[in-house]
Amino acid sequence: MSGLTPDLLAMQAFTGLALGAVYVLLATGMSLIFGMLTVVNFAHGAFYMLGAYLGLAVLGLTGNFWLALLLAPLAVAALGMLAERTLIRRLYGRGIDYPLLLTFGLAYIIVELVRIVFGTQDLPFDTPDALTGAADIGIGFFPLYRLFVIGVTALVLLALWLFLERTPYGLIVRVGARDPEIVRILGIDIARVWLVVFGIGTGIAGLAGLLAAPLQGASPEMGNSILAEAFVVTVVGGMGSLLGAVAAGLLVGVVVSLTALVAPEMAQVAIFALMAVVLLLRPQGFFGRAGLMS
Amino acid sequence: MNDPPILRTENLGKRFGPFVALRGITAEFRAGALTAIIGPNGAGKSTYFNLLSGALAPSEGRILFEGRDITGTPQHRFAHLGIAKSFQITTVFPQLPALENVRVAAQARVARYDIWRPRARLHDLLAEAETLLDTVGLARHRDRPASTLAHGEQRALEIAMALAVRPRLLLLDEPTAGMSPEETRSMMELIVRLAAARTVILVEHKMRLVMGISDRILVLHHGELLAQGTPDDIRRNDTVRRVYLGQREH
Amino acid sequence: MARADLMAAAARHRAALAAAALLVFPLLMPFKAIAVNILVQGLFAVGFNLLYGYLGLLSFGHAALLGSGAYACGIVLVRFGWPWWAALAAGPLGGMAIAAAIGALAIRTRGIYFAMVTLALAQCLYFIAYQATGWTGGENGLRGVNIAAIRLAGLRIDLVDPLHRYYFVAVFVIAALFALSRILASPFGAVMEAVRENEARARACGYDIRTTRWLAFVLSGGFCGLAGALQAIHLGIVPVETLYYTTSGLVVMMTLLGGAGTFFGPFIGAGLFGMLEELVSLWTVHWQLVVGVVFVACVLFFPRGVWGTLLAGRGR
Repeated sequence: MSGLTPDLLAMQAFTGLALGAVYVLLATGMSLIFGMLTVVNFAHGAFYMLGAYLGLAVLGLTGNFWLALLLAPLAVAALGMLAERTLIRRLYGRGIDYPLLLTFGLAYIIVELVRIVFGTQDLPFDTPDALTGAADIGIGFFPLYRLFVIGVTALVLLALWLFLERTPYGLIVRVGARDPEIVRILGIDIARVWLVVFGIGTGIAGLAGLLAAPLQGASPEMGNSILAEAFVVTVVGGMGSLLGAVAAGLLVGVVVSLTALVAPEMAQVAIFALMAVVLLLRPQGFFGRAGLMS
Repeated sequence: MNDPPILRTENLGKRFGPFVALRGITAEFRAGALTAIIGPNGAGKSTYFNLLSGALAPSEGRILFEGRDITGTPQHRFAHLGIAKSFQITTVFPQLPALENVRVAAQARVARYDIWRPRARLHDLLAEAETLLDTVGLARHRDRPASTLAHGEQRALEIAMALAVRPRLLLLDEPTAGMSPEETRSMMELIVRLAAARTVILVEHKMRLVMGISDRILVLHHGELLAQGTPDDIRRNDTVRRVYLGQREH
Repeated sequence: MARADLMAAAARHRAALAAAALLVFPLLMPFKAIAVNILVQGLFAVGFNLLYGYLGLLSFGHAALLGSGAYACGIVLVRFGWPWWAALAAGPLGGMAIAAAIGALAIRTRGIYFAMVTLALAQCLYFIAYQATGWTGGENGLRGVNIAAIRLAGLRIDLVDPLHRYYFVAVFVIAALFALSRILASPFGAVMEAVRENEARARACGYDIRTTRWLAFVLSGGFCGLAGALQAIHLGIVPVETLYYTTSGLVVMMTLLGGAGTFFGPFIGAGLFGMLEELVSLWTVHWQLVVGVVFVACVLFFPRGVWGTLLAGRGR
């Protein structure tokens, strides 16, 4: 164990932050959608995967990563809004299980469509030239692309925060999450708000998929396994809490990363062990309201 | 008069975050009596009721039932202790027939985790449920799903379910809420009949309803105990009159 | 009136009716191996339905219960070399043990959180099985779960023959259905319905919601564990994907397709699903697309499922 120098640990923890950034984005979108629509989006992983594939498509057509970074999440958001308007909306008020089941079926459809269009093989996703290489971050050299992922995540969170806290529309979203009735009484079209929130949530998921693709490639199944991890993050952070999603996402990333250092085969299990501990000690999660969950 | 109280709260209080909903309630409830808890909106009646019925845990103070400290007892244990309640919002098993509603309530006394014996063999429960339905005047609706009963009938059904627990203490939270005058009258008659055989504590918003039937009355105001005594005491109490004077009764 | 009496009689003897249907079923099915699949998946769905249909608790982690039954059976057979009946008994026991553990954690949450937490805990088990190659064979699956023949009272029953295997499996499935029928008709069956209908009232009656849920989860684990053991014997292997979350999704789909909360629904759902999968995969490799579309349509237009819709139509 003499190999575990403080620098190595710090480096690994930092790597965990990059991984955690992807979790944060996924869980933030999921939490936002849940807080507003009380829909647990089981297709969230599928939208994440779509982000990677649509990014690949844009990259294939234009060869421009930055264009892909912009267009893919927007396209995913548009598809998300389409799904909300045509399918999920029909189920509001019919019990909390039905939207969940519907999105689960939707994930099946999306995954299979991607298999038909892009094939079943894993596809490589090249790191853009400008972001290859490493930068000295004081404790050692760190891959530039991972720094970029952390940076983009921070920017998205900042933008989301400004949107929610500083814009009139954000105010409606925040109030609507607490009491949809008030929004309706104020004469605001809550259905539009739902549509926009679903679009934002799925768009952020698409962005997460795109950002993750250069790290691990794209595969139709990439959304399946990360869905469970995103659930863990939302449960640990506290359902419906954006702050919780951020804190828990980063924590889970670091825990995975550090576990991988000492016992790589236990890295996946560690995520769920963390959730089990949180459930035992604080069933509502870090920032969840007590009584909401248990 | 010198019997030990069936229920006693000592310095009972409840806070929700910084908001103090209830403070320092020390009161005794005599066995066999019908006690009404009244007060204007926001007086803390519901909070007090929820503390008495175990739905909420108090922030301070304790609750003694038959001399035993029951503070913090899990809610489902209250039924086993002999305390039953009806909710402010009608709470029945909507899709089950009326009779099964009462039968399953009675079953909680004898068989909670029995996964093998046919429940049809528990004849006594069925007979008991039929008697209880008859008591609350719902015998002819025994096979109808609870959700298809009229509002007043569902409330009566809920009381039959509470009785199935065979409570020594029956807690009723605004049992006439949302009822027509006709329904209200028959509900009050039912309560008087029930109170003849057991201890009843009743939370009621409408003061006029309880004055004639209660043995004792507790008046809450702004989360504190304003007054307690017989209906006559309360009628004569100046503070109570002041509180209720500005208040229009519905 | 005579018709209503007939329906009442059918409801009273539902397990016997199901048994009769299952005994005739393979004679109507051209492919016996699929018939066994449907039998096993049907039992899996029945176990799931106990929790979802009767208690109203949506679990997305039932793969863990099926998988632990399958692995328990396989490990007892392959690693310990114990006789077949011990392996079969290990299935429900394994399912119940894992259900007891997962349930103890998951019932601390409710509603959709329960779905998420059960899913996550089942994924945890998947990763553990994936790593514990010494026991489970890891990625390659646990191979060699074969029972060629069994001897019973001097009789040799050849299980390689698909029809024999069907009836061997059917015996256990039918026994399980009788047990289920008994549980549903027991006092606890009434408690489950009461908790589903109104938690607050059930609690006020004196029922402990958490213990009720936990017990139902463990019972569900017993049925699913048995299904897992039968599946392991049928397939001769326990693929690690048995534990993957898509398996959990599958059982949700089958149950909903047939009709949650009905006695026959899960079996009908499993049958339809099995045949749909078989037919569509003859035509395209992308059968999951069709499955997804059918499921979405089912959620949107037939939330009661095929059998549930039929029952509701008759009641009107």
